[in-house]
Amino acid sequence: MDRLAATCEEIQKHASRLKKVRILADFFTTLNDQEMEIAVQLLSSGPVWRGTTNRTLFELHDKTELKIGRSVLREALRIASCWDKETLSICHAQVGDTGETVGLLMRGISTGEPLSLAAADELYQELFRAATTARRVEILVTAFKKYQPLTLKYFVKIITRGLRIGLMERQVEEAVALACGVPAEAVRSANNRLGDLAQVAIAARRGELANIQARLFHPMDFMLAKPLDNIDELQNTSDWLVEDKYDGIRAQVHFDSGNVRIFSRGMEEVTRSFPEIVESCANLPGDGLIDGEILAWVEGRALNFNILQRRLATKQVRASLMAEVPVIFMAYDLLLRDGQLLLSQPLVQRREKLEQLPLTVSQQFSANSQAELENLFADARARGNEGLLLKRPDSIYEPGKRSGAWLKLKRPYGTLDVVITAAEQGSGRRATVFSDYTFGVRTESGFVNVGKAYSGLTDDEIKELTKQLRAASVEKFGRMMLVKPSIVLEVAFDGVQRSTRHKGGYALRFPRIVRWRKDKRPEECDGLERVEALYRTSVE
Amino acid sequence: MEVEYRETGIYLPEIDLWLDNTEPCPCTWISHGHSDHARGCHAKVIGTPVTLRFYRMRLWLAESDAEPVQQPLAFGQSMNWHGAKLTAYPASHILGAAQLLIEHKNERLVYTGDIKLRKPLAGDTTQPLECDRLIIESTFGLPIYKLMARELAIEAIVKFAKECLAEGVTPVFIGYALGRGQEIVHVLCNAGIPTSVHGAIAKFIPVYEECGYSFAGWTPYESRATEGKALVVVPSHGASLETSGKAIRVAYVSGWAALDNARTRSGAEELIPYSDHADFDELTELVMHARAKQVDVVHGYTAPFAHILRSRGITATAPQRAGDRASVEAEG
Repeated sequence: MDRLAATCEEIQKHASRLKKVRILADFFTTLNDQEMEIAVQLLSSGPVWRGTTNRTLFELHDKTELKIGRSVLREALRIASCWDKETLSICHAQVGDTGETVGLLMRGISTGEPLSLAAADELYQELFRAATTARRVEILVTAFKKYQPLTLKYFVKIITRGLRIGLMERQVEEAVALACGVPAEAVRSANNRLGDLAQVAIAARRGELANIQARLFHPMDFMLAKPLDNIDELQNTSDWLVEDKYDGIRAQVHFDSGNVRIFSRGMEEVTRSFPEIVESCANLPGDGLIDGEILAWVEGRALNFNILQRRLATKQVRASLMAEVPVIFMAYDLLLRDGQLLLSQPLVQRREKLEQLPLTVSQQFSANSQAELENLFADARARGNEGLLLKRPDSIYEPGKRSGAWLKLKRPYGTLDVVITAAEQGSGRRATVFSDYTFGVRTESGFVNVGKAYSGLTDDEIKELTKQLRAASVEKFGRMMLVKPSIVLEVAFDGVQRSTRHKGGYALRFPRIVRWRKDKRPEECDGLERVEALYRTSVE
Repeated sequence: MEVEYRETGIYLPEIDLWLDNTEPCPCTWISHGHSDHARGCHAKVIGTPVTLRFYRMRLWLAESDAEPVQQPLAFGQSMNWHGAKLTAYPASHILGAAQLLIEHKNERLVYTGDIKLRKPLAGDTTQPLECDRLIIESTFGLPIYKLMARELAIEAIVKFAKECLAEGVTPVFIGYALGRGQEIVHVLCNAGIPTSVHGAIAKFIPVYEECGYSFAGWTPYESRATEGKALVVVPSHGASLETSGKAIRVAYVSGWAALDNARTRSGAEELIPYSDHADFDELTELVMHARAKQVDVVHGYTAPFAHILRSRGITATAPQRAGDRASVEAEG
């Protein structure tokens, strides 16, 4: 654990993701199997309860997380460090991280004994077993007084579930692969099947990745569609299956004999927000994993995404809200059925199995010409949907990929000429330039913000823009600065929604930069009334 | 002795003397050469010879202004002032920085100015003083601040510069115009690393050289000739280098670098928590050593530090003065 902490500290120092992966992989190679399992577990999903209870996989998913609140950690720190609440609270406020505060304040107090990974794991188990808050505090106080401050910093960060060292699960997977000499893709795929990177790491060491079976009730990666800007680019329209592209919440429904869980694309569990979907899937025979879209649905049509979002806003859904915003699950793919993973089967076969289930399944069309495809696009738009999805009938399901076997035809709602009001330094390759732009539209009393865009310009354009923005800087806060509205961009977007964040009351959905309008002055950019008008057409 | 905490400085009415007054006044003691202390066109100023030089370099006189009378007070020297005895002692903070001991009617009062206890990279080492009343700063007056000793700071600075240069990347050190800047240049020059120095920092180097610190082989900063060199720049310039698109890695040498969030705040990759201010342990040690009947905490985390001292049985207060926090954040 001491070395894990030192490794995390080193990873934090480097901005390059490649370097982070290398440092972590080097650390992994020094560990034995048991240590490797614990290290990967702690770095990916956090400590896991190893108690011997007969819980089913369904129950395991959300009950193994170690839940220790900040108040418990702070109380333990108060006792262990002998600092009073007043001093601790101002220290916490300056540092902004509980684990780091513990590490800083236990310097010179803790006796600095070494802590092995196995002993750290046992400590977490002890915390799992502790029946009362008082007991948890007691365990933590003893630990705080005993181990090295840097180790404590990360021991606590792992409890609070925020390492803040710029290390994502993807990089842990890559480091496991690098350390075990296997392709990153094999680790990624096995982790996607199992949802347990620690077990995957052990299998990778033993060369047994291929044996890993798929498991339900953990979110799997979604296959994504590549954007298609122009129908003319499509050679043979009849090579594709066509579906409406809905503007809902992309989700997976996992079911197994009455047990149902729903995960959104952000890998969040959203089961509780949609009880009617749980109910409708509870009677499905056998087990399975369905990919589809949650839609607010009235009279055979999907409602605006804004309306659907209200269902996510509350934790417990009231009956009145369910009546106001009824939802359905529009199924369009089947990833797993009766224990068998279907990812490598062609889409048509997966669909055949999907259509045997009593579900609402997306309608599929075909287009024999570009003109027919245009008609389908117009129909989809008339039904209030975003556009079309085109899928190869023989496409396998590629988790997390945007491979081109699926295409999406959206076409922007329109474009607007907007003016940059603030700019922020990017990250990674773009850390040294201003690459993220907040932009606004004109009103009688100045400009109001309607969104923020990151992509669409070339590196050279960003460099040039950075120079101009720095000259227009009004005020700087850290990596962000307000600028005098002077630079006009043309942005494309997929819709307009109401927003409480922006003063003007609207935000563009998925804005991206089309071009830098050097020919335009800020007073020539679009006004708020145009945004209002676009919103009205989208709701009606 | 009566002490008045006023907005522009500390005033001792019984002997008609100001301490670090930032607005023009008849006579003020200047503890060190930083611009938030050594400023204002006073009638008379008292300070160590080096501090007075920095003060005069920074002072811009209008035609109607009279040249201030400059009364030097070297380390260990005393002078009489309106019935009191004034003696200057080193404060480690920056070159020339001094504590002032004021002996008046059987009372010993010490004003630390900005201070650190440990040996600095350049400058004299603090001599802790005993007194009846102590006026002390608390820039890093929270227990989360434990900073690097000079040996570790030298090692970290040199290691970072060498690593970057080996990778073909330009190491950029952000330091303050007076004090940290010259210390970093001094360390880099001693290690034989070619160093390019921003003008705001370079202009004070001759004063350091006169005091016996060597600065062999540095060159003035030129934006076109940075290859193979370490850069030492002031914070504002560091920010513009960051957005220049050049292959650089930035190190932030400051007490504020003790916290991870300094990385996002400063944009620097490497954090070197070294300061010309005392860290929490040094401050506590200074207070303990003083054995003062009363401690007044000025600058920085005044209220929390006074609170901590009181919990240890020391009579300590944090006199209210406007504008404290902002001025110390600027030069940590």
